[in-house]
Amino acid sequence: MQVAATASASSAVPGARISVQGIVLGLAVALLLFLVGYPLLWLILGALGVPQSFGLEHLQRAFTRPQNYAALVNTLQLALGTGLMSIVLGVPLAWATARSDMPLRHVVHALVALSYITPPYLTALAYIFLLGPDAGHFNRLLQAWFGFESGPLNIFSMPGVIFVIGIHVFAFTYFLTHSALKSVDASLEESAQMLGARRWQTALRINLPLVAPAITSGALLAAIDSLALFGPQAIIGTPAQIVFLPTRIYATIGSYPPRWAEASALSLLLVVLTVAGLALQRGYLERRSYVTVGGRGVRTQVIALGAWRWPLLAFCLTVVFFSAVAPIGVLALTAFSKSWTEPLSVGNFTLAHFNAALFQDQVSVRGIVNSLKLATGAAAIAVLIGAAVAYLDLRTTVRGRRLLDYLAILPLGLPGTVMAVGILLAFIRLPIPIYGTIWILLAAYVARFIPLATRSANATFRQIDPSLEEAGRITGASWWYAIRRILLPLSRPGLLVAFLLVFIPAFSELSATILLYTGGTETIAIAIYRLNDLGQLEIVSALAVFTIAVVLTLAALVTWLSGSSWTTGETPPVRG
Amino acid sequence: MRIARRTLLKGLTASSATTLIGSRAWGQAAGPSEAGQIDLAKAKAEGKVVLYTSLDTQIVDAINAAFTQKHGIEVQYFRGGSTDVTSKVLAEADAGRPQADVVDASDLAALLLMKDRGLLKPFKSPAMDAVAKDLRDPDGTWITDRLTQAVIHYNTKEFGSAPPATWADLGKSGMNGRLTYFSSPNGDGAPRIYTLASHLGWDVVKAMAATKPLRVQTPQVIAQVVERGERGAGFLQNDNIAWRSKLQGKPTDYVFPAEGVPTEIGACGLLKSSTRPHAAALYYEWWMGAEGQAILVKGGKYSSRTDVAPPEGSTPLSKLKLLTLDYAQYKKDKPKILDQMASIFGGEWGN
Repeated sequence: MQVAATASASSAVPGARISVQGIVLGLAVALLLFLVGYPLLWLILGALGVPQSFGLEHLQRAFTRPQNYAALVNTLQLALGTGLMSIVLGVPLAWATARSDMPLRHVVHALVALSYITPPYLTALAYIFLLGPDAGHFNRLLQAWFGFESGPLNIFSMPGVIFVIGIHVFAFTYFLTHSALKSVDASLEESAQMLGARRWQTALRINLPLVAPAITSGALLAAIDSLALFGPQAIIGTPAQIVFLPTRIYATIGSYPPRWAEASALSLLLVVLTVAGLALQRGYLERRSYVTVGGRGVRTQVIALGAWRWPLLAFCLTVVFFSAVAPIGVLALTAFSKSWTEPLSVGNFTLAHFNAALFQDQVSVRGIVNSLKLATGAAAIAVLIGAAVAYLDLRTTVRGRRLLDYLAILPLGLPGTVMAVGILLAFIRLPIPIYGTIWILLAAYVARFIPLATRSANATFRQIDPSLEEAGRITGASWWYAIRRILLPLSRPGLLVAFLLVFIPAFSELSATILLYTGGTETIAIAIYRLNDLGQLEIVSALAVFTIAVVLTLAALVTWLSGSSWTTGETPPVRG
Repeated sequence: MRIARRTLLKGLTASSATTLIGSRAWGQAAGPSEAGQIDLAKAKAEGKVVLYTSLDTQIVDAINAAFTQKHGIEVQYFRGGSTDVTSKVLAEADAGRPQADVVDASDLAALLLMKDRGLLKPFKSPAMDAVAKDLRDPDGTWITDRLTQAVIHYNTKEFGSAPPATWADLGKSGMNGRLTYFSSPNGDGAPRIYTLASHLGWDVVKAMAATKPLRVQTPQVIAQVVERGERGAGFLQNDNIAWRSKLQGKPTDYVFPAEGVPTEIGACGLLKSSTRPHAAALYYEWWMGAEGQAILVKGGKYSSRTDVAPPEGSTPLSKLKLLTLDYAQYKKDKPKILDQMASIFGGEWGN
C-alpha cells in the first residue's frame, strides 16, 4: 500500500478509496432497498389496512370472501395442470434432443426456446384466432374435415387456459431435464448395460432417478411461473369466466373505489404460494448433489433409435408446432392479411396494419417509444445495481452482503402483479409520489428484473480472477481506476448480456404495467392489451409480430454474445 | 325524450342534498368558473389538457385533433372502461397525485361519487342551456354528454327473417349457445344489465344467463363476435357500435326492443385539482359545444344537446322508450348488485 500511495499520489489515498467505493456501492444498495424492500414492506402494511386503519380484519375479510376462495382454487388447479403438462411435454422432448439420434434435434431445441421467448399473452391472443369456439382456424378445419356442427374445441375454458400457459412454461422442465440428461455420464449407463440391463431398464433405473430432481424442479418452476402470468389468465380466463389470483387482484384495484387492503392481502397469498413452491423446488434441486452431475466434461451416450426415431420426431414436431409455429404463424398471417378470417393470398396481402401500428395509431406508437425508453433505462439501472451487488458478494467481506444478494434475487419469486401492488402502495404517496408518471414503471421494471442482472453480473465477475484487479491496485491504480480499466473491460460482454436479459422481458412486460400505467405512459404491451379490448385485431397482430421480432433478435444476440445460450443454463429468465 | 325523469331526479336530489354542504360555491375553485372567464392566452400557456375518458378512441382522436387544430393545445388522454377511468381518478385523488383535468365516463354513478368526494369543480357553461335539466347537475359539476342505448345486435345470416326482437326472446331456449354479452372484469357491464333487471325483473336477466352466453371484455368485441357469426346475437350495450357495423356493410342489424331500451348516461366534468384550469375549461367547452358534439354524433353516438341531430339514419330518441337507472341508488347498492351479477353469470365482476 505504501508503494501504491507514492506511485499514484492522490487517487490511492485510503480515504479517497473508501469514499468512491462507498458512494458507488452505497448508492446501489440504497436503490435496491428502496425499489425492492420498501414496496414489500408496504404490501404487508397495505394488507393490514394502512393508512386508513390498522388491524387484521382486512386479511380476515379477504380470505373469507367466496370469490377470493374461488380464485385461489382456480389458481391452484392451473398450477397443477401446467406442472403436469410440462412433464408430459418437456421430458420426452428433452430426452429426444439430449440423448437420441432423432433428426432435427437442434430445430426442436430452438423452437422450444422460441415458444419460451414469445410473451405468453401473445400466445394467448394467437390461440383466440386458432381455437376461438367457432371462428378459430383449427375449429374451422375440424368442422370441414369431420363435419362438426360447431367448433369442437373451446379455448375459453379451464383446459384452454392450462393449455395456453402450459405450452409456454413446459420450457422450464424441458431445459432443466435437457441439461441434466446431458450431464449424466455414459459410463454409468454402460455399466448397467454390461450387467445385463436392457435399454429401457437403463432409462428407468439409471437415467430417471438421476434426472428426477431436475424434472420435479422444472415442473415446480413451470407451476410457479404459471401462477403469475396475468396476460393469458386475463385474455383467455375473462371470457371463460374463470378468475385467478392475479386477475382477481387486478379487478380489486381496478373497480371503484379501489380496495387496496384486499388487493394487498391477495398479493401476500400469492407470495406465500410462490415462496412455498420455490422452497420446495430448491429442496429438490439440492438433492442433485448425489448425482454425478459436475463441472467436469462428461461423455454422453447417444442412443440409436432406429425406426422409433420417426414417431418420436412426429411427437416433438407436434409439440413445437402448437407451442411456437402455429401461434406465431397465425399472428403473422393476421398482421399481413386485409381480413384475418380470409385465407392469405396475394389479394389479401397488406402492409397497412404495420403502417397503422408503427406510425399511425397514437397509443401504439407511444407504446413502442415508451417501451424502448423504459427497457433501456431499466436494463441500465439494473445492471448497475446488479454489478454492485455481485461485486460486494464476490470481492468484499462487507457484512450483510449475503442478505443483499438474497434481496436482489427475491423478485424472481414475486409475480408482476404483486410487485405492482407493492410499488403502487409505496410510490403513490410521499416521500416519492411518482404514481401516474413513467418513473413508476421504470421503478417496477428495475425491481422486477434486477435478479436477472444480478445473476448475470455475478457469473461474469466469477470468471474474472480477482488477482488481475489486485495486480492493478499493487501497481498503483485506485479502486475506481482498477474497476474502470480492468474489471469493466473484461466483463463488458457479460454485462451486455445482463443488459439484454433485462431489456427483453422489460420491453414486453404486461402484468405489472397494467396496474401502473396511465394516459401517456402506455407501453407496447398495454397498446396490445387495450387495442385487443377494442377489437382492433389487425393492429394488435402487427404489434405482436413487431414485439416478437425485437425480442427474438435480442435473444439471438444474447446467445451469440454468451457463446452458449441461456437455454442450456439452469433456469431461463422470468417473464410475464 | 322520455327519460324516466322522476327516478333520475329523485336520485339526484337525494345525492346533492348530502353533498351540497361539502361542495364549494361557484367561483371559489381555481381558474375560470364559467365559460366567459376562460383566458385563451393562459390556456395556451398551460400547454396541454389531460382527459380521462371511456369513449371509443376513434371518436376521441377525432374530437382531439379538431381541438388541437383550432387552439394549438395538445390533448393527452387515458382511455379505459368507465370503471378503469373512475378507479384511476379516485386512486390518484387518494394519493394526492391528480393527473386529469377533464373526466368523462359512461357511468353517471361514477361522476356522482366523484362529486361526493369533492373532486369535481362547478362550472357554468352555455352548454347547460342546450341540455335537458334532468341530464345535468344543478351545481354544474357534471353534465351529460351522450346517451347510449342497449340494443339486440344480430347476424342476419344466422337469423334470417325471424331475429330476436325482445329482451325476453334472448332468454328463450333457442338462444342456447348463441348469445354474447359484455362486462369487463371490473364490472363495466353491470349498470345496464341492472337497468334492465330493475325495469323488467331479474327473471329476464337470469333467463339470458341460462343460455350460457359468451362473455367478452368490451362492447366492441361483441360486434366482432356477431359479425363473424361466432355468436348469432348480442346484448350490445352501445347502439353506436351496432349502427357502425351495419353502416360498414357487415351482415348485421339491430333492434331497439319494444319493452324499453336501457339507456346509459355518459357525463363529463372538470376536476377541481386541475393545474391547467383554463385549458381544461376550453376543452370542456369544445367537448360539450355543438361542434365537438357533432363529431361525437359522426361516430354514431346520440348527443345530449337538444340542438344536435341524432346519428345519420338512426331512430330519434323521442321514438324510443328509454329505461333509466336511479344512479344514486345504484352507487349505494353497487357492491350488492355486483355480487348478484357474479352469482347469476359467474366470473369476475370486481365485487
